[in-house]
Amino acid sequence: MGHFSWIDGSIVGVYLLLTMAAGIAVRKYVGKVEHFLIAGHQMDLYLGIASLAATEFGIVTCMYAAQNGYDKGFAGATPGILYAAAMLFVGLTGFCVKPLRDAGVMTIPELFDKRFGSRVRWLSGVVIVLGGLLNMGVFLRTGGEFLVTVCGLHVGYLEITMTLLLVMVAVYTILGGLLSVLVTDFLQFIVMSIGLIAVTVLLLVNVGWGAMVKAVETNYGAGGFNPFVNETMGWPYVVFNLMLNLAAVMTWQTTIQRLLAAKDTKTGQQVYTRTSFFFICRFLIPGIWGVAALATIPAAALNGNTLQAMPMLLATVVPVGLMGLVVAAMLAADMSTDSAYMLTWSSVIYNDILGPFRKSKWSEKRGLLWNRCIVACIGVFLLIYGLWYPLKGDLWTYLGVTGTIYLSSMSTLLIACCYWKRANNWGATAAIIFGAAIPVGFLVIEQVPATAPIAKAIGPYYSGIATYLIAGAAMVVGSLLKPKSYRTERQAS
Amino acid sequence: MNTIHWFWAGLTGAALLWYSTVTVYVAIKGAVNIRDMLARLSKDNEDG
Repeated sequence: MGHFSWIDGSIVGVYLLLTMAAGIAVRKYVGKVEHFLIAGHQMDLYLGIASLAATEFGIVTCMYAAQNGYDKGFAGATPGILYAAAMLFVGLTGFCVKPLRDAGVMTIPELFDKRFGSRVRWLSGVVIVLGGLLNMGVFLRTGGEFLVTVCGLHVGYLEITMTLLLVMVAVYTILGGLLSVLVTDFLQFIVMSIGLIAVTVLLLVNVGWGAMVKAVETNYGAGGFNPFVNETMGWPYVVFNLMLNLAAVMTWQTTIQRLLAAKDTKTGQQVYTRTSFFFICRFLIPGIWGVAALATIPAAALNGNTLQAMPMLLATVVPVGLMGLVVAAMLAADMSTDSAYMLTWSSVIYNDILGPFRKSKWSEKRGLLWNRCIVACIGVFLLIYGLWYPLKGDLWTYLGVTGTIYLSSMSTLLIACCYWKRANNWGATAAIIFGAAIPVGFLVIEQVPATAPIAKAIGPYYSGIATYLIAGAAMVVGSLLKPKSYRTERQAS
Repeated sequence: MNTIHWFWAGLTGAALLWYSTVTVYVAIKGAVNIRDMLARLSKDNEDG
């Protein structure tokens, strides 16, 4: 049983009331679809930093980063270092993001429409939503498991907790769109940060740095500190994560939504550079919690589920009062992520998947109504999918594989769209098909008992690397295969 | 402790220091950003 008391419950209650009030209060500023989806291009630097950081840190992030810490030691924080390097590189150079923001579009597929045509735009929208929703599908259950364990609730309350949380998030997201998301993200960033820092200091004091280093050394040897010599990582893990993170920085829809919401291109790039170091914290801080769990909780107590190690540790070491702050911080992290993700996939469904079916320009009122309905439908989908999907393997790898469904092709298309004159719709279509088929195929053979050993033999890292390389090759080959007469026709039209 | 242990110790210290500082700074500047953003959107809605 955790140390969750009425004092903690009061702290969480006050936090939830404040968030809901702030989220609902800004709905009156939403007058257009542009306000709802990209805050009317009015987001400034510090709000952008708070929003991006809050969005990209959910309970699910905390759980997989802590699991990495428990399973891989300090080396488990390697993806954070790679992500930060990618953010810094893209922010400083403006690689892909500058031409994207300069184009003044609302989504990435809208940019592709200008270069590759409306069919590629529609297809891009479909894979973005497919990959994104599969990815987000595990957020709720993972968040629920954390809250139930930390608060010491009966496991039967998991579904109720998840549903209530999602309904609250859906209410303010449906009413205020990105404006509500930005304002609540800001509050959530502050609460989340205070909680993360407080717990880390508590664990460093209680468990001790020396005990953590010793636990990693005993369990994993040098591999607990160096990813290249870690048995479960090695160079395929590092290369796959490098490709994955660079692609995510350039095309992950929630990140791009903040770039496109920025008031100008320079502000958008600054959000990237100044948030880059946060991505080290995003992996390292929960990673330290996972390492602390490794030092204190024996593997036998976990029944093989290392995802539960960190919540079990927090349930026993965090005192009354601070527990309320921790739960509020984690709720903040989860709510900001859920709201931003629901909105971001809805923006692609509205703008790029349903867009071609709109014969005439819709009124702002009708557009807002449709956007709100789409957000609600995504919420319903998440509840259903989140309840029945059985997660296999480690969480970060599942997220990497599902994210790759669109990250591989969208990053290829974006680079080609911005920097390769000969790129065309044949290459773009081929890249989308190959980029989606390989990870979807991998997920399917992993789930079917007869083919599961094959998936295990290949492993997610080689499959992921192959996806990025093949998507790139498909773009080049497809573009070059298109007869010159077709290319000339397209340019003329 | 060897070099790689120092690397992780240094990175953890830097992360905690950076994150604490940025939280305070962003909390102050972000509030100003929200006020300005809502003022601009309000004007945009009035202008139609």
